[in-house]
Amino acid sequence: MRILSVLLVIILAACSSMEDEVEVEVALPVCDFEYSRYQATVTGYCQEPAADLPESLDVIHKRITIKPLDEISEVFWFNKKMKYSLIKQEATAPLIFIIAGTGASYDSAKMVSLQKSFFQQGYHIISISSPTYANFIVNSPNTKYMPGDLAHDAEDLYKVMNLVWAQVQSEDEVEASSFSITGYSLGGAHSAFIALLDEEEQVFNFEKVLLINPPVSLYNSVSILDQYFDLRNNREASVAMFDEIFARFSNIYSMQRSSTFDQSSIYNLFKNAELTEDELKLLIGASFRMSSSDMIFAIDVSFNTGAITYKNHTIDKLESLTHSMQRASDITFGDYFDRAMLPRAQREDANITKADLIQRYSLHAIEDYLKASDKIYLVTSQDDIILQAGEVEYLQSIFAERAKIFPRGGHCGNLDRLSFVEYLQATFQGERN
Amino acid sequence: MPAFSNKCINYIPIIFCVLLAACSSVPKLESGAVAPIVELPEDREELGLLSAYNDPWEGFNRRMYYFNAKADEYVLLPIVDRYKQITPDIVETGLSNFFNNLGEISTFINSLLQFKFSVAGETFGRFTLNSTLGLAGLIDVATPIGFAEQNEDFGQTLGFWGVGSGPYLVLPLLGPSSLRDATGLVFDALADQQSMDVLGMKSDEELYLSLVNSIDARARLPFRYYASGSAFEYEYLKLLYKKYREIQVAR
Repeated sequence: MRILSVLLVIILAACSSMEDEVEVEVALPVCDFEYSRYQATVTGYCQEPAADLPESLDVIHKRITIKPLDEISEVFWFNKKMKYSLIKQEATAPLIFIIAGTGASYDSAKMVSLQKSFFQQGYHIISISSPTYANFIVNSPNTKYMPGDLAHDAEDLYKVMNLVWAQVQSEDEVEASSFSITGYSLGGAHSAFIALLDEEEQVFNFEKVLLINPPVSLYNSVSILDQYFDLRNNREASVAMFDEIFARFSNIYSMQRSSTFDQSSIYNLFKNAELTEDELKLLIGASFRMSSSDMIFAIDVSFNTGAITYKNHTIDKLESLTHSMQRASDITFGDYFDRAMLPRAQREDANITKADLIQRYSLHAIEDYLKASDKIYLVTSQDDIILQAGEVEYLQSIFAERAKIFPRGGHCGNLDRLSFVEYLQATFQGERN
Repeated sequence: MPAFSNKCINYIPIIFCVLLAACSSVPKLESGAVAPIVELPEDREELGLLSAYNDPWEGFNRRMYYFNAKADEYVLLPIVDRYKQITPDIVETGLSNFFNNLGEISTFINSLLQFKFSVAGETFGRFTLNSTLGLAGLIDVATPIGFAEQNEDFGQTLGFWGVGSGPYLVLPLLGPSSLRDATGLVFDALADQQSMDVLGMKSDEELYLSLVNSIDARARLPFRYYASGSAFEYEYLKLLYKKYREIQVAR
């Protein structure tokens, strides 16, 4: 989860005596934390041994102009052009698109784990950020539909995939023998909607589609995450808990003999902090809130919605954004849904209700397709935190023998673990050329 | 980031005083602008961490942050890449170790100033071992046998003695700091310079050395501006820097 990267950023950004690069992917033997679905979500399911994956990959970081650059606000000067990455095999090979999860970029830690697995299996890999990631939002020509509207997100992604595919063919001479698509979390749900769209458009004719820990209903999932960090009804307690967690980390750090931070001392920090279930939830909720703040700001700037920024105002690149960040912390996803997504959708069709939208932004909307299509696979955990009671059973019933449900792993906590990678190998094996 | 020790530091306070007063970050609103729908809580304290640190020099800081991001992209990182290309890995590591070893001197002084005798002892042990067996610091022999590297700087010493961090300050090229830590940096840079003098170096050799030291320090820092992709990166980094220093000082 992001909190690990937050901790890393603390170290990387602030410290004066960095020794070796802190590497996120250092292979460690199993950890001895007490297991919970929340712990697995935050630190990864480290009780299971890590898979034997390449240490690093030759990633080609690419940029592509999607929306004319002068239409992108100066406050996003660093986000002009859409970023994505290509990892290529030497020869002709099958190609897989990977779509990132909510608020995540094409090179997030989870994306890297998946890239390593698929590269090992002989795939070319194109990694694309989530349509909820700021770089995607500000480069998308769409200013009509709110990110999270799965069918429209899929259209957006599909256009990007086409442009990107053309670019890597001409610039990097990639030759693909077939196409597949996958994505984790929200990116998993996107993959399913993209696969459906491709049935009509027939550009890629995907060989395999894999949904990794997808939400069943976007609304249900984010409602769960909203509750973890309840600033609206419980601000004082949340704020106090945050301070308490920091204080504990700080104490443990002062007792630690060395002042260095590396992977094992971060694990140590977590182990000794003995975070309670509520505290782990708070960290998950806070990290979700951080990415949704970034998303809301990018939408505000692109769509001129005026939720946390001044409407009809061009933000200068040196202007203070602190007030916007503070305002964003007060918005739950529920608010975003009620006050942004619903009114937008009603502008198109006045009769639409909230219940209709909740249905539309869920796998229920394309249930028949998912049931009937043999190429679509699902993998998730029995204890995935973003699934409500009954949703695992629902997935099982829809995907039947194409579903793999691991007993443990929380939300995407096992993407680099042994049994998960073995599952990927078994599922994608038939495609190796 | 205080990792760069650079002679230019000596001028910086003067330039600051001129610049700090000059910029503002308050939005200049157009006549048709409408206030944001989501309101701020009346009591800013309610925001907790998000409003915990004032930023009176925000206008200057943001400008500097922007400058640093550009300088990093167009000047520092290209130099670092070139340096990595032309320097064999073993030389890079050797130089890194060498500069780390020099840095032990100011860590040693600062731990003494904070009465942290075990830290001072460990650092002294490291310095002695690495300077002798480790061939003037080129090889780090102390870490593998259990002498942990410590990290104390004059900013922390000042903090230990109760000096508040003062306003947040983004230093040119060095990045996040505070009034206190920037002051500490000057002290630590002087200490480094003294140690080089003791080694009998001429001033142009020292200049080369601190240049390589700066490049080495940047090379070892995996941070990339706006890799987070977030418009709020400035805010996040400020929070993290402030928190991290609090934790370090408390240690």
